[in-house]
Amino acid sequence: MGEPRSGVAVTFTIPGAPLSEGGERVGEGKVLIPGQIARDSIIDVRALLSHPMDTGFFRDADGKPIPAFFVNAVTVSYGVEEVARFEWTSGISRDPYVSFPLVATREAPIRVVWKDNAGGVYEQTATVKFA
Amino acid sequence: MHDDSGLSRRMFLRAGVLGAVALAGGRPLAAAPTLVPPDLAGPDDEMTDAVRTMLARRFGSRPIRPGHVQLDIPVDAPDGRLVPVILDIDLPPTPESYVSAYHLIVDHNPDVYVAGFHLTPACSGGFVETRIKMRRTSYVRAIAEMNTGELWSAAVKVFVGLNGCG
Repeated sequence: MGEPRSGVAVTFTIPGAPLSEGGERVGEGKVLIPGQIARDSIIDVRALLSHPMDTGFFRDADGKPIPAFFVNAVTVSYGVEEVARFEWTSGISRDPYVSFPLVATREAPIRVVWKDNAGGVYEQTATVKFA
Repeated sequence: MHDDSGLSRRMFLRAGVLGAVALAGGRPLAAAPTLVPPDLAGPDDEMTDAVRTMLARRFGSRPIRPGHVQLDIPVDAPDGRLVPVILDIDLPPTPESYVSAYHLIVDHNPDVYVAGFHLTPACSGGFVETRIKMRRTSYVRAIAEMNTGELWSAAVKVFVGLNGCG
């Protein structure tokens, strides 16, 4: 992941959660915002999570079905206000990425929380600071 | 004996030529559907029952009109595991009128309702971008739900190579 560009990674990996192919960690989130933000400008918030997003229809090399394991709910809060909520299915690609606009009206943290169908909760924060 | 075999060979050859002509004559008919331009009607252009059911359950009898919403997606997607999508609207955002949700539907995916992006006025004035999976060549539909309850839609037929859903 390298050094975090904005915010600090707060990662929860649920015990017994299936690891994605290659055994990489599930649930490392990134929230990226522009480095220079002017008050009341519209910024692009980009949120990326490492997650296999298994549909449940594929089989592994041994022929065993890979169970469905995907992020199905995402909430975005800006300060104390909830500004966006996404309902997802396994139709979102692996390592789900989403970019959405936000009007930067105040200096406050943007907090993204991903929840998956196995009960995993992952979150990441980036803080809006005006230049 | 010799004559017979010659005759049968001639008949065989003739039958072969006739057969080839028949095949050549028959093939264009059989292959015709693939030659139809993608914007013309085909069996996949009708909404599937799953999509109709989903729309009825989610939106009831509210009218869904084409227009205003922009669905930016490649028409040719060789890898169905990763198809980039951008959703946007050409209506200016105001406090009285803004997009409260974008809905993304793929007709021939196992789960036709791929994603819903619920937004607030704090998210006005830009686009939503993500990456989706597609099982096979199918229509992708975007519906923009305004806070006033209006529903705007757009549809693009995307040709998929590799199955991304299983």
